[in-house]
Amino acid sequence: MGLITETNAQYYSGQQVFNGITGNDIVCTFNTDLVATVANVSNSNYSVTKNGVLLTETTDYSLSITDLNKITFTVALISTDQILVTLNQPAINSNYGSYEYISILDVVNNFMFAYVGMDKLIPRCKKSDIIFHAKRGLQEFSYDTLKSVNSQELTIPPSLSIPIPQDYVNYVRVSRIDESGVQRIIYPVNNLTTSPKFLPIQDVNGIPIQDSFGENNEANQSITEERWNEETQSNITGEFEDNDTNVYDWAWWKLNFGQRYGLDPQTSQGNGWFQINERLGTFSFSSDLANQVVVLEYISDGLAYDVDSKVPKMAEDALYAHINYSILSTRANTPEYIVQRYKRDRAAKLRNAKIRLSNIKLDEIVQVFRGKSKWLKF
Amino acid sequence: MAINVNTVYTTVLSILNKEQRGYLTPFEFNQLATQVQLEIFEKFFEDYNQYIRMPKTDVEFASRMDHIRDEFQIFEENKNASSVSGNVYDPPTSPAIHRFGSAFFTRAKGNPEIHIVTRRDYHEQILSPLTQPTINNPIGIYHKDKLTVYPEVASPAVTDVKFNYIRKPADVVWAYGVDSTTGAFIWSGTAGAPTPFIPSTGSVDFELDDSQQTEVIIGILKYAGVIIRDPQIVQSATQLSAANEVNTKR
Repeated sequence: MGLITETNAQYYSGQQVFNGITGNDIVCTFNTDLVATVANVSNSNYSVTKNGVLLTETTDYSLSITDLNKITFTVALISTDQILVTLNQPAINSNYGSYEYISILDVVNNFMFAYVGMDKLIPRCKKSDIIFHAKRGLQEFSYDTLKSVNSQELTIPPSLSIPIPQDYVNYVRVSRIDESGVQRIIYPVNNLTTSPKFLPIQDVNGIPIQDSFGENNEANQSITEERWNEETQSNITGEFEDNDTNVYDWAWWKLNFGQRYGLDPQTSQGNGWFQINERLGTFSFSSDLANQVVVLEYISDGLAYDVDSKVPKMAEDALYAHINYSILSTRANTPEYIVQRYKRDRAAKLRNAKIRLSNIKLDEIVQVFRGKSKWLKF
Repeated sequence: MAINVNTVYTTVLSILNKEQRGYLTPFEFNQLATQVQLEIFEKFFEDYNQYIRMPKTDVEFASRMDHIRDEFQIFEENKNASSVSGNVYDPPTSPAIHRFGSAFFTRAKGNPEIHIVTRRDYHEQILSPLTQPTINNPIGIYHKDKLTVYPEVASPAVTDVKFNYIRKPADVVWAYGVDSTTGAFIWSGTAGAPTPFIPSTGSVDFELDDSQQTEVIIGILKYAGVIIRDPQIVQSATQLSAANEVNTKR
């Protein structure tokens, strides 16, 4: 049996038709599970029409609580009725391309079936152990192997700060989007400035002042951040302006212009700066980015949401090898040569997965190499 | 296939009556037969455990493990819970559980197995965010003949949980009618047997596989020898049984 269980209509248009059904129940077979409208919990992800007339949820039909994807109609169907169940567009979109992935649940079930049991290297193992190692593996793979980059398009408010995304683990890239839609990479401030974690208020002797609970009093505003926000970016980047043409003006910040010692390439860019403010839990941007559109690309650990818990099929075998090694290496009395064998197995398969997922295509490399004869100007 | 109760009874009587060693009444036979059936039935599981740990073969008809599974598969049941309160499910009552095997959660796709844990393990497991029970990975605590399943689901129903278990074999009964002329006991399964039958519920065959017929007869003879106080029968039956045991475990 093939792995695809949906019909073309179910996949492409998110529709399933039921003809000649009698009784009150139909069961849908989409890859996507139907979701009912539950107040303050969820919105329905599908609609139902009967003979071309849109039905109303709860009045005309309801989704079974006990049986998955079973729709129960208030009025019994007769054989001439035509029922059309249609997924809404976000549900259809999230199903597109889903064949690229395997769910973590399937990985665990496959592992239990294929690697655990009598006469196998792992004769018995708690399923929760396998789930733990599978999820840990997915987390580790998410950081450097999987294509699990999330991105958000955001507008920088006047406060120059945006909160860190809920499922954020680390950033990949932050870009400003210019008027042409081209992304221009924004760089971290690195050593230019910082965001202090604590802002203790001091007395005249420099000793932090405590409140009635014995805790340090903290200032609301950081002086460092205020100064940074008010700084003129051209002072750092070396951006040349018409009124700065006096080469004999030796103000310290003009030394960055390259008149005397050349530009510092690290700071010679005009796209702006960002930093992570751990105290406020925000991404903070330089003042020239106010009201600009930025795209924040970051990695998550693949476990934040249920729908995230999916593994690219190209890394499936690496995940099995990871679980195998993790279980064998933590199990008492496993011979060390077995542990080492699976350690190497894991490393080799993870390397394969990284190569596969790095998405290197010969034609694309050839295209890049076409620039080999172009002169590079320094 | 089950063992015919009349075949066993008549065979036992034939052996016992040889040289007028004694007679076994239907009542005594029924009790002994039930006892022997239970003994052999309980031994299945110990034997199965031993076979699992022995070298195995996949050759058809030669696998002891497959063979013994065939013998007790008839007692395996897969039934819904009998009642539910919150997330506590009572096991089936008809037939009742003799050995609990596994339980499956039908509220999730593919009916995943409910992983049975101790209460201590449960508390450890729920402390880890990665191993929280979900409907796709349900866990349960089997305690005082009740199964508490996590996570708790809305609108619980007895169909949520299916129990896979071994039931106890039914009591063996050799029922008979009394011939009004000769006073002889006629087996209820005989064509034209006189009625009413004693007991009125009729005969119940052994549920064991017919490959166990010899074991059953030897077992009954062993007990019958005790009843009729014939050490020779007890000794012979015990020797035969031991020889059989040695052969199958070699």
